[in-house]
Amino acid sequence: MITALRWFVFAVAAIALNFPVLVTLSTSFKSARELSGNPGLWVQAPTFENYRAVFEVSDRLNIFLYLFNSLTVALMGTVLAVALALPAAYAIARGRIGERTLLPFIVNLRAVPLIIFAIPLYMMFQWLALLDTRLGLGLILTIVNLPLALVILVNAIRDLPAELDEAALMDGANRTQILIKVVTPLCRPAIVTSLIFGFITAWNEFLFGLMLTTSKAVPVTVGASFFFAASGGGVQWGVASAVMIVGALPPMLLGLVMYRQISGSMTAGAVKG
Amino acid sequence: MTFATTKRRALLTAAGIAGLLAATPALAEVTVLGWPGGPEETALRAAADAYNAKPDVAENDKVELLFFNRDGFWDKLQADLAAGSKAFDLNLLATYSIGRYAPFMEPVELSDEAKAVYGDSVLATMQYQGKQYGVPTDLSLHFMYFRKDLIEALLKDDAGKAKYAEISEKYLGKKLEPKTPDEWTWDDYAATALYFTQAVNPDSPTRYGTVLQLKNLLFNIMVWQSVPRAYGANWMDDSGKITVNSDAYRKGLEIYKLLYDNGATPKDSLSYEFAEANAAFASGQVAAMLQWNAAAGDLTSKEKSPAVAEVTETVAPPAGPEGRFTHIHGLGFGLNKNAENKEGAAKFLKWLSSKEAALTYAKNSGAPALTPEVVTEVAVARPDLVKLGEFAGKYGYVMNGATSAKALSVYELQAKEFTGYWSDQQSIDDALANTEKGMADLLK
Amino acid sequence: MASLRPSGQQTQIGAMTIARPQSNAPEFRLLATPLVLFLLVFLGFPALVNLVYSVSEVSFETLRQPKFTGLANFLSVWSDAAFWQASWFSLRFGVLTAILECLLGLFLAIFLSPLIERRSWLMAILMLPLMVAPALVGLMYRLVLHEFVGPVPYYLWTYFGASVSFLGPGSAFWTLVVVETLQWTPFTLLLFYMAYQAIPSEIAEASAMDGARSLQRLWFIELPMMGPTIAAALLIRFIDGFRVFDNVYVLTGSGPGGSTASLSIYIYEAFFKQGAIGKAVAASVVLFVASFAVLYSLNALASRRKGAKR
Repeated sequence: MITALRWFVFAVAAIALNFPVLVTLSTSFKSARELSGNPGLWVQAPTFENYRAVFEVSDRLNIFLYLFNSLTVALMGTVLAVALALPAAYAIARGRIGERTLLPFIVNLRAVPLIIFAIPLYMMFQWLALLDTRLGLGLILTIVNLPLALVILVNAIRDLPAELDEAALMDGANRTQILIKVVTPLCRPAIVTSLIFGFITAWNEFLFGLMLTTSKAVPVTVGASFFFAASGGGVQWGVASAVMIVGALPPMLLGLVMYRQISGSMTAGAVKG
Repeated sequence: MTFATTKRRALLTAAGIAGLLAATPALAEVTVLGWPGGPEETALRAAADAYNAKPDVAENDKVELLFFNRDGFWDKLQADLAAGSKAFDLNLLATYSIGRYAPFMEPVELSDEAKAVYGDSVLATMQYQGKQYGVPTDLSLHFMYFRKDLIEALLKDDAGKAKYAEISEKYLGKKLEPKTPDEWTWDDYAATALYFTQAVNPDSPTRYGTVLQLKNLLFNIMVWQSVPRAYGANWMDDSGKITVNSDAYRKGLEIYKLLYDNGATPKDSLSYEFAEANAAFASGQVAAMLQWNAAAGDLTSKEKSPAVAEVTETVAPPAGPEGRFTHIHGLGFGLNKNAENKEGAAKFLKWLSSKEAALTYAKNSGAPALTPEVVTEVAVARPDLVKLGEFAGKYGYVMNGATSAKALSVYELQAKEFTGYWSDQQSIDDALANTEKGMADLLK
Repeated sequence: MASLRPSGQQTQIGAMTIARPQSNAPEFRLLATPLVLFLLVFLGFPALVNLVYSVSEVSFETLRQPKFTGLANFLSVWSDAAFWQASWFSLRFGVLTAILECLLGLFLAIFLSPLIERRSWLMAILMLPLMVAPALVGLMYRLVLHEFVGPVPYYLWTYFGASVSFLGPGSAFWTLVVVETLQWTPFTLLLFYMAYQAIPSEIAEASAMDGARSLQRLWFIELPMMGPTIAAALLIRFIDGFRVFDNVYVLTGSGPGGSTASLSIYIYEAFFKQGAIGKAVAASVVLFVASFAVLYSLNALASRRKGAKR
């Protein structure tokens, strides 16, 4: 009985949360003609025309390039952010270094619209020749990702019993060794969580992608609207939907794979307490 | 980094897309930043191809095109120009933003034919402080789109006419009778919009008489301002005094408010812009709307708008006591101050303003406003351009100050204040007073 | 540093265990150095430039020649009704969405955990909304909610004969809250589910043995154990809701009369639309200082409360 109720709640939640995704999916199979006459979820005459339009590579539109750019910059922005945040989080949680200044300062970066840095960054990037490069965008996404990674990791390390550190210290290990050998394995769920959320955030970033790239390093969020801007600022909803589905697939797959990781490492995490 | 490299290789192999890295552009020497996605892009491509094919164009003066996306286009362009980008030599310009970008651009020299091809008033859409900053390639203005079938039926229907008179008396305070749309005043438009609204007239064949685009967005103010203009509105008089707090503006604001409050336009109109309004009209549930000329292609295409394509007609916007008006602005191309190949870029611009280029542009779905003599050469292929040129010449206007450096900010201000009035968040007096004060600050 | 702390038994928001101050601070400092250096390099210069801009009259034309004007920008922000309207919008939006997302996420995490434990792909389905860029979600809702092409109004019209305004002046705020909540509840759901799973099974078993009913167990044992995660999730989601930009900007812009302008939208529009760079940056500085003060005092408060308890 209760199980049936759980399934019911799951179904309602799945549909409600995913409603825009479902509509997008349905719309991506509708022709322009059907779109103007059939607003419902059911597709009367499914067409792959929208997807064909998305995957057609021309000298101007290249979905593969945008996906590749997004993948590269998102990975860079995520891995680098976690690599920088992990040791700092350890220092903050255990060494009480900068917990009153550095931590709130960085967390605060998430509250401020980073776009105010756009102009100075633009000028700096111009000088460093980082404009329209994947490296440049990856570095910005690192800044975008740092606050969340730091919060998650500081929390996770604080949750670990300090006795573990002390025991290792007794054994003669130094802090760096403890970080690598003791803390990192135990924090795997938190690290994977930071990586997933970081990747999603980086993948979905729009404004810096718009401002700092022109052609070679254009990410998929920006490239997406290349496809569906019709005459005079209108939107080709079918193509827009198809490109959204294509653009959401990589983080979806990655999330799935990484999620396995989390659930796999959950038992490791449960040792603590 | 090795991780990324491995990923890259894996992706390359997996996708098997050879074109991936072949996207590196050939080294072209004149880079043109265009308006992406629409007919403007198609036309520019054709023009660039024609130019590059000419034997007398040097290899290092050939034209390469660059496109951003439309969302945030002007904001990005602003950042690029202000920071001194060298990514493009020529870039898109619009009449309403010319004053904002002129400090980062250089005046250009047009071909000798330009005057004969475009005429003075159209060339003026690309001028700032007396200097020519661009070649006017596309012209935007507004049409009144209406459902021919519905209006014709009403004109033949005596019971309908009586109802129409009753409705117009009740809402507008005067008895009106239906007219053909090319004779409409704004009162006729309002009466028609109310008549075809089910909330007002339960027998109406359409749910709404019109669809207004009322999102807090500067472009929506451009669409609307032809209403007050027909009553004599202007941003400022010749002495530079702001004249927005006037009866003309009041009248224009009130007509829209009347239509919105009485349900003659969808309730969500305050979030509508170009795309939403088109979708509403294309559904067949709207009788008439004021909209950009750019919508004509989609709304009369049987593929894209099967419900209305065959019964949709366009005329110039309705008239007021001061005459009939349509907002116009031009899109064009100008020279980036930091361009790396200024000479090559200037050559292309000169050609782009020639008759040959204008005709190429027109034949490939561009929308240049050509003089009557020139437009005849493409009249068969592009009858709509005849109408465009005619309307622009007869009814086109630009508000005093609408090409100044702060023009965009003025539109932004008006959008905020006027939508505040339409959505009942402030009185019409406050909206006009705030606008007047803000505009005085901006345009001083 | 360590000597400043009375007992060394201080704990911050989200801390469950007590950290004792260690004597090897230099080593810790070294570990934090890469992060600090990175920020100095990539934000140092922009931050410096922005500080100069915040006390200057500067536009896109005078980026390289800002003119010092003292606190004029701050005064004009302070006296701008639109700034306060935007702050109020952001605050309401941030608080409401954070609470709704946490409640909904908590309920789903706990109620559905028996299902998800066995089939992890269920979680993947619930996480899908996170994968779509908020800007695109905003765009999609323009379609979904459109009276003539959107499925929601279509079904409402077909089955109830009702034409509902979702984005009108009265309803836009709530529609935006729902849109944001639906997209980000999966975020809290995932965090809470992991925290819930991390509660050692011995505790559950022990309390079950004591005859505690499941609701009591939930209230007195499990929720307190998830406390730090809940606090962290509330904080993260509040911050994200407070600075909301993409989906609102695409869906309603700054709204009729500026009624749906968040602080981020206010700043963006001041920056790009009005070209009032000094004002936009000044507003950001105000925002930064204000939220720093809030976070800082939250931290201090948390330490004191913990200290008092022990």
